[in-house]
Amino acid sequence: MKRILASVAAVAALWLGAAQAQPMPPLPAAIRDQGVLRAGVRCDQPPYGFRGADGGYAGVEVEMARQMALYAFGSRDKVELQCVTAENRIPQLNARRVDLLIATLGVTPERARVIDFSEPYRWGGSDLLVRRDSPIRVLDDARSRNVIMLRGTTQALWFDANWPGMNTLRLNTISDGLQALLQGRGDALAGDAATLIVIAARDQNLRMVGETFALSDAAVGLRKNEPEWMAWINAALARIKAENLYTGWVEAVVAPDIRQYYLDAFSAPRPHSR
Amino acid sequence: MEFDVGYLLQQLPLLRAGLLVTIQVSAMAVVLSLAIGVLGAASRVLRIPLLSQFFVGYVELIRNTPLLVQIFFVFFGLPTIGVVLPIFWCGVLSLTLWAGAFQTENLRGGLAAVSGGLNEASRALGLSRFQYLRLVGLPLAVRITLPSLLNTCVSLVKNSAYVSVIGLQDLSAVAFERIANDFRALEMLSVLLAGYLALVLSLSFSVRVLEHRLQAPFRR
Repeated sequence: MKRILASVAAVAALWLGAAQAQPMPPLPAAIRDQGVLRAGVRCDQPPYGFRGADGGYAGVEVEMARQMALYAFGSRDKVELQCVTAENRIPQLNARRVDLLIATLGVTPERARVIDFSEPYRWGGSDLLVRRDSPIRVLDDARSRNVIMLRGTTQALWFDANWPGMNTLRLNTISDGLQALLQGRGDALAGDAATLIVIAARDQNLRMVGETFALSDAAVGLRKNEPEWMAWINAALARIKAENLYTGWVEAVVAPDIRQYYLDAFSAPRPHSR
Repeated sequence: MEFDVGYLLQQLPLLRAGLLVTIQVSAMAVVLSLAIGVLGAASRVLRIPLLSQFFVGYVELIRNTPLLVQIFFVFFGLPTIGVVLPIFWCGVLSLTLWAGAFQTENLRGGLAAVSGGLNEASRALGLSRFQYLRLVGLPLAVRITLPSLLNTCVSLVKNSAYVSVIGLQDLSAVAFERIANDFRALEMLSVLLAGYLALVLSLSFSVRVLEHRLQAPFRR
């Protein structure tokens, strides 16, 4: 029995060692000299990036940043996290306040003109959150109504492009949007389905409309023309996937009843939608 | 990325709409806050019971709390006690309440600076306290405090940028939204600086004209 255990342990050690030894491209000199990763993450987007019960950073994307710090400097603490909003994240990156964005950043052509995107690490759809008794059943029902959205988000771009001139209330944070929805200042709150699922599960007075729109890939955002840094980030993302770390991170922060959506977002192929 | 004038021209209609909202909110709040200022200062100086104490509390409350918190209070706090104002009026109300407190203090200071002898002379001539205020006290106090009244109005116009947090599409909101979507920060921030500068300078200029006219009787 002891020998079997020992050999299992030896095989496991070998396997882990192999995973560890996966070659990474060299870290760019500027980052290496800095000795720390400066990552922009969200603080109001559970389960991706949010403030945990202790007030610290938590969420899957925060774990990604910490894991990258481990790959880069051998310690999960060698990361300087900074709260970014949908509106200010790209300016923060381009103003060199952070060196990478892992901040629920959807890949769009407009954004690709000013920053570079890594390989996508998950997909994300948009949905509408409404009050339980709302007459809105499908996306089109919202057309003649007042929709709350956050400035600078994929959803705001989608509505501007598809339904120009509709009634909107534009706010800055999801908590402001939710408060405004609950107080009846708008009929629906547009947002990432991933975020809205959590809110709907927590609040019995709210439900999701359930029609996905504005589907997009989420990727790490870097400044333009930093090829060495991009290669490193892509290698790190591939390694996280190969080591199957997303599952554990999702399970740590998402309740079992709504977990499947997030597991799919990181591992299943992207569905179709308008 | 260089300064793109073509892009700016293309965004002009949106920016103009935003500027209009800024002007409307500010103008409304300037007028209403001056009315509060007159009422508050008069209550304080005439020592009207209750009203006078109310204004003391009001001024302290507004002066010692951040405007941003006041705006959120009007927008999110009032609906929980049943007062749901449209967004535009939330903006006007919060800016009015904020500036009203400062205008009250400005005018109260002005009234205090009017020589006590004038008050006694008015009484001796048989003027009531309200007549003194209307005919003697306020006209002089306004002339004395015009610079500080203007100062508060200038701050009000600049602080109107805060109302974008409750979804009002003012000049700042429009410009920041364009930055979030098109990432042309240099162009939009320049427009913001130029826009507010133009607004405030024209406000200062009109007050200077007003001051010149008000001082006419005292010039030789």
